[in-house]
This record gives sequence, C-alpha cells and structure tokens, in this order.
Amino acid sequence: MSDARVRRPGEAAFAVIITAFSGFLLWTAYKISGFEALSSPGALPMASAGTMVVSAVVIAAQTLRSKPAGGQSLTRDIAPMPIVLTIIMVGAYALLLKPLGFLPTSFLFVAILIRVLGGQGIAFCAAVSAGSILLIYLVFRVIFNVIMPEGIVPEREILAFFGRLLPAGQ
Amino acid sequence: MKLTWLAAILTLGALESPAAAQYPNKEIQGIIQWGAGGSTDVVTRAVTPHAEAVLGGKVVMQNVTGGVGAIGLNRVADAPADGYTLLFGAENPLLYKVMGLGTKDYSDFVPINVIARGIPIIVARPDAPFNTFPEMLAHIKANPRSVKFGTTGPGGLPSVITAMINNKAPMQVIAVPYDGDGPALTGLMGGAIDVMPAVLGAAIENIKGGRMKAIAIFDTKVNEALPSVKPVTETNPEFGSFLPWGPFFGIFAKKGTPDDIVAKLTAAYAAGVRHPDFVKLMDARGFTIMNIAGKEAEGFLSKWQSNTAWLLQDAGATKASPATFNIPRP
Amino acid sequence: MQALNAFLIPILDLQLLGLVAIGTFAGIYVGAIPGLSVTMAVSILISFTFKWDIYPALSLMIGIFMGGVYGGSRTAILLNIPGAPAAIATALDGYPMAKRGEAGEAIGIVTVMSFFGGFMGIIALAVAAPLVSEFALKFQPRDYMLLAVIGILLVGSLSGDSLVKGVFAGALGVLIGTVGLDPLTMADRLTFQLPELRGGISFIAVMIGMFGISEALMQLHDVNKAAVKQKISRIVPSWGTVLKYLPLSLQSGSIGVIVGALPGRGGDIAALMAYDHAKRTTKNPEVPFGEGAREGLVAPETANNAAVGGAFIPMLTLGIPGDAVTAIMIGALFIHGLNPGPMLMIEKPDMFWFIVGALTMANCFMLLFGLTGIKVFVKIVEMPRSVLIPLIFLLSIVGAYAVNGSLSDVYWMLAFGVLGYFMKLYGYQLGPVILGVILSRLLDDNWRRAIISDQESLWLLLKGTVTSPLSAVLLLSVLAILLSKTKLWRRWRGQAA
Repeated sequence: MSDARVRRPGEAAFAVIITAFSGFLLWTAYKISGFEALSSPGALPMASAGTMVVSAVVIAAQTLRSKPAGGQSLTRDIAPMPIVLTIIMVGAYALLLKPLGFLPTSFLFVAILIRVLGGQGIAFCAAVSAGSILLIYLVFRVIFNVIMPEGIVPEREILAFFGRLLPAGQ
Repeated sequence: MKLTWLAAILTLGALESPAAAQYPNKEIQGIIQWGAGGSTDVVTRAVTPHAEAVLGGKVVMQNVTGGVGAIGLNRVADAPADGYTLLFGAENPLLYKVMGLGTKDYSDFVPINVIARGIPIIVARPDAPFNTFPEMLAHIKANPRSVKFGTTGPGGLPSVITAMINNKAPMQVIAVPYDGDGPALTGLMGGAIDVMPAVLGAAIENIKGGRMKAIAIFDTKVNEALPSVKPVTETNPEFGSFLPWGPFFGIFAKKGTPDDIVAKLTAAYAAGVRHPDFVKLMDARGFTIMNIAGKEAEGFLSKWQSNTAWLLQDAGATKASPATFNIPRP
Repeated sequence: MQALNAFLIPILDLQLLGLVAIGTFAGIYVGAIPGLSVTMAVSILISFTFKWDIYPALSLMIGIFMGGVYGGSRTAILLNIPGAPAAIATALDGYPMAKRGEAGEAIGIVTVMSFFGGFMGIIALAVAAPLVSEFALKFQPRDYMLLAVIGILLVGSLSGDSLVKGVFAGALGVLIGTVGLDPLTMADRLTFQLPELRGGISFIAVMIGMFGISEALMQLHDVNKAAVKQKISRIVPSWGTVLKYLPLSLQSGSIGVIVGALPGRGGDIAALMAYDHAKRTTKNPEVPFGEGAREGLVAPETANNAAVGGAFIPMLTLGIPGDAVTAIMIGALFIHGLNPGPMLMIEKPDMFWFIVGALTMANCFMLLFGLTGIKVFVKIVEMPRSVLIPLIFLLSIVGAYAVNGSLSDVYWMLAFGVLGYFMKLYGYQLGPVILGVILSRLLDDNWRRAIISDQESLWLLLKGTVTSPLSAVLLLSVLAILLSKTKLWRRWRGQAA
C-alpha cells in the first residue's frame, strides 16, 4: 500500500483516541512505583507505555497531516450494518451468558446470527446451531471438564442422571 | 427425549432438598489455586482419586491461577456453600490480609483436610564457599551485599525463612526474585543465585544428584528422606522458637456448608490421605503427613497465621499490621 | 542393549503403540481447537490414567503432546485462529494461502516439516541430551533478557508497511503482558484494584480475540461472497520442494531444539524466532512474506515440533520442565512413584529410552494422520460465511472461557477482537501485539533479576554481559539485527521500504 498518506474514515479519531489512552496508561504505569529503582515493578510498564505514547504521537501527526481517502464512508467501509449488529450481539451474549447459561445463550446467538447474516430458514438456523453446540459441549464439557456457566439449565444434575444410566460408572 | 430430560430435572430437583442424604448427586468442582505441575496441583491430584473411591462421586479438578492464588480462592468463596465447589490450596491465603492481596482467608472456609506440611531446607550451589549454616552466616557477614539469595516474593517460603534468619542474625544479601521455587532452583543450578531457601520436596532429587548442596534443614529434627543433613537447631538452637514451621496443602469448603456434607468430605479425604500409595509418595518427597480436620485443623491454621504474620510484621515485610485483622500475637 | 530394548517397548507392544496412536490423533484435534491446550489435556490425563501403569499413561501423553503442537497449525491456516500459541507464526503465511485456495498445499508442507522438526528434536534428545541441558543451564537472567530483546526486535519483521504502527502495537502487547499482580513483588500493576485483573489478562484470550474475532469481523464485509474453492490436487510436497527448504528447516530445527531445551521456554518463542530467521535470511521468496511465503510455514513449524524433543531434554536429564507440558509430565512421573531429577537417567535409563521410542512413534503417527483427511478438513473453509462466522464466534468464546474458566477472559477476548478489527482497518499489524504479550514476562522478570543481581548498576550489568561469552554472542546478535535494519529509519518516517 503505497498511499500511506491517505487516511480512512475514522482513522484520525482512532489515532487521537489511542494517543490519549496511551497517555493515561503511562500515568497509571508511573503510579505503580514511580522512578524508585531500575528494577521496580513499574519499570517495564512505564517503558512500554512511554513507547506507546511516543509512537502514538508520531502516528497521530502523520494521520492528521494526510488527506482523507476519497469515496469511502464510515458506515459503508469501516462499520457497516452487519458488523455493528454482530458486535452488539456479541455484547448481548457476554451479558446474558452468566444469568441464562451457556447452552441457551449460545443457541440463540448462533441461530440468530446465521439468520441475520445469511437469511436461511429458521429450521436450518436452529438445526445448525443445536448441532454445533452439542458437539462443542461434548468436547469441552464432557471430555475436558470445562464447566461452563450453567444459568437456568441444571447441567450437572442432567449429566449425573445420564451417568447413572451407564452401569459401568467410571 | 425432551420428556426424559424433563423427568430427570424434576426428579433431581425433588431429591436435592434434603441435600446431604444424596450427596454427592452430581460432579464436585475442585478448584486448585496453583498451576498445573506445581506441588499443590500434584499433591491434590494424587490424593483425590483415593478420596473419590470413598465418597462415591467424581471431583473435577480445575486449575484457577493468578493473584498468588487469590483468584481461585475467590471463585470458591463466590460459589454456593453446598459442598459442590471445593478449594485445593496452600498456605498463602493466610497471609493475604497482611500482604494486602485480598480480604478473605481460610477463616471464611471450613478445613476438610490439612493434608501435609513441607519441611524448609536451605540449599546452595555446589561450589559455594560454605557447607554449614554457621559457615554461611559467617561468609555473609564477611561479604555483605554479595551473596545472592533466591526469593519467591513477599509471603513466600524464602521470605519467611529469610525473616527468621534476619530476626536472629541480621544479614545483608541480594534477594533475587523468581516467580516460583522451580525457576529459582533452576537458577541456582545455573549459578544465577547462590542460596535458596526451598521446600525439601522440591530440592531433594537435585541434592541427591549433586546439583546443589544442603546447608541445613529448617526443622527441629533430622528428616528421614535426607538423614545426613543436620537440622538448623543442632548448630543454632535459637531458631527453635520459630519451628516447626512449613508450607502446607489443604482442602477447604466454603463456610456455611451443611455439617453432614462436611463430615462426608472429611471422612473421604481422611481415608484418601491415609492410603498407602499416597503415604509412600509423600514420604519420598519429604513431606510430613498431617491429615487433620475440624477444630484441630482450625487451631493449626490460626496458630500458623499468627506466627507467620507477626514474624513478617516484625521483619517489616507486611503491608498492614496483623493487629488490624485481629490476628493475635503468638 | 538395554537402551535398545527400552526404545523398542512402545514400538513392539501393540497396546502401547495403539495408545500413542490414539494420543497423537486426539492431540491433533486438541491442538487445533483454540482454548483446548495440550497442557490442559495432559493434566486431565493425570487423573484419568491414575490407576494405569506409567508406560501406557506416558504413551498417551506423549502422543497428545506431539499431535497437539502440530495440530495448532490447522486452525491457524484455515481460520486464522492459531489453535495454540506455537502456531501464531504459521497463521501469518498459512492463512493468506488458504484465502487463495491453497490450504491443502499449506497443510501438506506444514505436516512434512513438523515431522522433520519432530525428528530433529528426538535425535537431539537421544544423542546430546546431557550436552544440551548443560548448555541451557548456562543461561543467566541477562541472557534470557537478551533473548527477549532479540524476540522484541521481530517487531521490525512483523510491522508491515508502517514501522511506527508496529512499534506501537508491540509496546501495547508488552504492556498487556504486565497487567496483574507482579509475580516478583506482588505489587498491583495496571489492575485498578480490580480483583479480576489481578490474575492478569489471559494471553490466549488476547490471541483468540486479535486473530479470530477481528478476522471474523473483517470477513463480514463481504459475507455474501462465495467462499474460495480450495485446490486439493497438490497436498504432499514433492522431494524437490523438501530438499529446497532443507537448509532452512535444519536451521529452524536447531533454533527449536535450543529454545525448547531452555527451562520454561516452549515452542511459541521458538516458532517466532525461526520465522524471523527465515524472513531475514531468505533473499528472494517466491511469494512475499505475509502473503503466503512457503518459507514462513517451513521455519516455525519445523521449530515448534523440534522444541518438543528439546523440552524433554532438561526434564529427563535434570528434572527441570522445558515447558508447561513437561512440567505436568514431571508431576505425572512423581504420582506414578518415580522421582524426576538428575538421578532419573542414572537410576532409570529405561524411562529415558522409552520416552525417545514413544516420541519417535508419535512423530510417525503425526505424519500419517496429518496427511490423511486433509480434503475433509479444507471443506471447513468452503462453508458459507454466514454459517462459518457465527461458529467461529462461538468457538472463540468457548475457547477463551475454557483457558481459566473465567468470564472476564471472554470479555477481554471480545474487547481485543473489536480493537483488533479497527487496528487492522487502519493499517496496524496485530502480530507485534501477540509478540509483545508472549515476551513481556521473559523480558520483565529477567531484566529485573539481572539488574538486581548486579546491584542496580547498569555499568556492572554491561560489564557482566561483555565478559561472558554467551552473553556477548547474544549481545552481538542484537546489534547485528539492529544494523541489518538500517533502513529502519526510512520506514519509521512512514515510507514503504
């Protein structure tokens, strides 16, 4: 990409935000232990946050001097609808995961996302979602004992029930 | 299919209320507060299958690390007190309060079993110019700020042993920090540090292999796993007032867990710790089996806490005084 | 003779051979699925194999280890989500190949090179274990620090068009790596007193977010475009190809063995260093690096599998773990009544040769399972994006959660995914961020150990560095890399090289 001097929509704002954020991190890093000693716990955080500030300032200066790219718009090239929607859904997933539990939240998430993105039939979405979640659940929960948030589904009781159906036990 | 599930949920829901009679009717989640491969991990994973056999249930072990074990401890403290989430931990939580690492410690838990205690030992690199504890102290005195001691951070075993030594014979050494005794002992073998206070079990094979030499066992008596090494009290009896002292491993349930469930768990783990295979394994590594629970364990924990917290307080190594948390001076 | 007998046990005993095969097969999938790690699988196996004898238990674990290190490359190539940290470098050139329909060829090269690297590691273990472990022990804190600096300089190779953006990304990564309770002094670092931050930000969460989520968001730009049809005619690389890359794979394998043998350092750092080595020494790649250079696959994949044999070197000679997986295996030996340490090789030489034998078989099974079934695997990328992308999200979320069973890791993963998406759009490379996170602790801990050992004096540290042959060589490499990048300055000012 030879046109380093052209900036995309939102790029200048991004550069300014990361500069400010780097400054904030540098201040936070300074507060860990100040300039106490070369070996202090804050030494490397300060060095790296300092590097961030310097490079972010250079980036911001370069970006602000460059010309906006023609023919690009924020809503079409940077954050079009499907992406904004997906990010919102991901946020909702994160919020619902604990209260609702892994199984129902994931089912809704995958089914709705497939439906929104691809427009397939509801039955198809539900089937793909249920099938893949079942597979993931078997691998992670049953084989690897990763205990997902249970929420409203009493998973351990159900597993114990199936466990008792198998006479062999262990 | 759906009906079976529904039936299962309903039946189990109905059975769950008189909790203890059916306990355990589902998997028990065991949180290990240290990483995979560490001593807490290995010891607790080794005892649990023996206890499972007695308990008639399955304990799913999971390592939840970070924050010197505080993350795992909080995970168990946040779970319901129903005996289905257990903590597998070491001695560190007893120092969280004075070290400013957290607001909870084992007083928020019921001890199911304090499994075993480790014996501290001081080891040095093989070519160090001293062989005994008094020689080491003399060498440090003659060469201030040149001998490098390994440490594992405030509250770790090396910091406590160093505080004990400083209390009786103040010394000036360079404390090189490591993130665990494994890496520090590796550093010792490579000559990055000169001396390391460690737990006997971690150093024993290296001593036998000639990779490091034992200076003194920090205990009042000779250890069978390493009979040729003198206890420190033989040459320096003044340390007797601190000893015996050592890190330990234990299993804990959240306070408020029904008594009969605690009793079931206690019985299961007591049997597990007594299992000959486990005893043999612990002996080989020089751990002293304790296998105590209930009031006895609580007494041990509070005594350990008051001894260690005040020792560190007197050495100026704490962030807050034990008095703030009503930890009595021994 | 006794050695040969022990070596042949896992080969002649059908039950053990079967367990190695099962382990390797399972390992490939464990490695491929982000969030499931070999470390996790092996620690579960400790409980699972509790009542078994030591040989069958080890056979299964060794299979999983070998297969798992290789398996990480699968998802790295197909989905741009490295299944394990050791496969990060593989994603850099493997994924661009898959985007062009060359996933089959990429997997073929990776499989053969992993096999080759695996053998280099095994041979080093069998022939030179005591020698290599003595060498590895010589590394002092300052040498580890210099090693980390060499690693950090990789930012220069990974920055793409704008060095200054790469430096920013690398520094961000280092900073992320320092978040949490400082393991050396227990001081709070950038935790804002939040208990959940005290454990630090999971590196796997950052990795899955930055690679997987940001790429999935990127793909949403043209969700309705048909997926790339994968060519599956050419999978197994020809002899000519293998011979052509032989010098590079020999060098990369050596890097893998040494870094693998360093206590506590594993295949992830080895793979990144080998990638950098390939990038610096390859004069005219057929395809540029970052766009599907074959050399960019050969180097890291040879190195990370060579690191497997390397990791066993300090474990079997000294009882020191070479990486996280061997740390757990030491625990397993202990539980099974053995005493891992310097005496193990003297008292139980059989154990050493048994492990060499099992590794050899695992390596062969890896080649076998790796080359079969590729056609089915590449079909994954041919799924419609509207189905594939939601599944990538789900797998990423579960993977991030599984690492430590922590919801905050999921939040971090998602946040870094969104951040990574914007960084990508605005021309920041994400490789340096991951590099920074990986190297942060190595740099921080060892810098502090080194400067404390030298009484906080930079002068004494420098003196110690130039008077130790090992440190001096490492310092010279740092300087050489810096000098080889004199065109750095031009790029700093924002010009394409």
